[in-house]
Amino acid sequence: MKKLFSFLLFAAVLSLVATAFAGCGKSKGASAGVLENEPDVTFKDLQGNNVTLASYKGKVVLLNFWATWCEPCRIEIPWMIEFQQKYSAKGFTMLGVAMDDEGTKVVAPFVQKTQFNVDGHSMTMDYPIVLGTDDIASKLGGLIGLPTSVIISRDGKIVKRYIGLVDHNTIDKEIQSLL
Amino acid sequence: MRINLMPAVALCALFVFPAGANRGPRNNAGAHPQDGSILPNASAVVKPRSYVSLDSVPRGSQFQVAVVVDIARGFHMNSHKPSDAYLIPTTLTPQLPPGIQLDETVYPEGRSEKFSFSPDKPLNVYTGSVTLRLRLSANANAALGATSLPLILRYQACNDAACLPPVKVPVAVSLQIAPAGTKAHPVHPEVFSPSSSSK
Repeated sequence: MKKLFSFLLFAAVLSLVATAFAGCGKSKGASAGVLENEPDVTFKDLQGNNVTLASYKGKVVLLNFWATWCEPCRIEIPWMIEFQQKYSAKGFTMLGVAMDDEGTKVVAPFVQKTQFNVDGHSMTMDYPIVLGTDDIASKLGGLIGLPTSVIISRDGKIVKRYIGLVDHNTIDKEIQSLL
Repeated sequence: MRINLMPAVALCALFVFPAGANRGPRNNAGAHPQDGSILPNASAVVKPRSYVSLDSVPRGSQFQVAVVVDIARGFHMNSHKPSDAYLIPTTLTPQLPPGIQLDETVYPEGRSEKFSFSPDKPLNVYTGSVTLRLRLSANANAALGATSLPLILRYQACNDAACLPPVKVPVAVSLQIAPAGTKAHPVHPEVFSPSSSSK
């Protein structure tokens, strides 16, 4: 009887803990694996046009925060080009968010001229690029280092956040699981 | 009826504490990149210390200010002459008070190093401890007594997995200006001796 009571008590406590943690998962301050509503964010593209995150609703979005001065970001960029080519027809888009303080002046030439080796082919960044700000980064959970990648599901929820260089297959699998 | 709660509490603790440790806010003091290391704030990666070459600087004489920069283990910052035009160089900029003149800023040579994110292209970087130097002159009109010489150290640091944003860190320098002809006493030979100057 004592054993049964102890077990029931343990189950109840565990259930409470699980409920509490489910609540934590929805709180602000995203971390990997945490569901969070997509914030209302408006970027400027390299032509100065407004681009809202909401306009991508219905697609899986990989937001990749990068900068021209970020060497590790250059490892990921060919992968981002590949993901865009591979999955854009299936309802996916890349969105490169450049965090350079100087904005278009330095980002545009980099995007237009820098060649990346994508499976043996020399290519430029041919996916949408927008300009980021500290305010935008803050709305998306904060930014302390680059690269940082945020994956958003079709229904506009942040489902994954990667800080720092991640391996290709990890991101690829995550995208595939959401398509 | 006495209920022994210890097994239940202990088992709960096993579940709660490891999970709780991973659920704190990640955008404040630090974060966990995918390689599992801690990513600190940019200003916490580098610790600058300043030194003046003379205990008091007579008007009309030359002196040096050295900034010894200790870079956190596992991190590097671009040298003053980085290997790529897009990379942000380390700079040291003085805000000169009236009567103090900058003659030259001397940056150490960077080291050419390869990183996991740049295996084929070595980068010219500073790691460990480096010393940046300013050669200055106190003119005849420099204000006598205690003078502050604020410096701005700008750098951009990375580790093997991520880069921190570029930051400008203030470095305080205090010096004494003495009347012309006052005997000057060299100090901090560990920083200003000829053998130290090559570091």
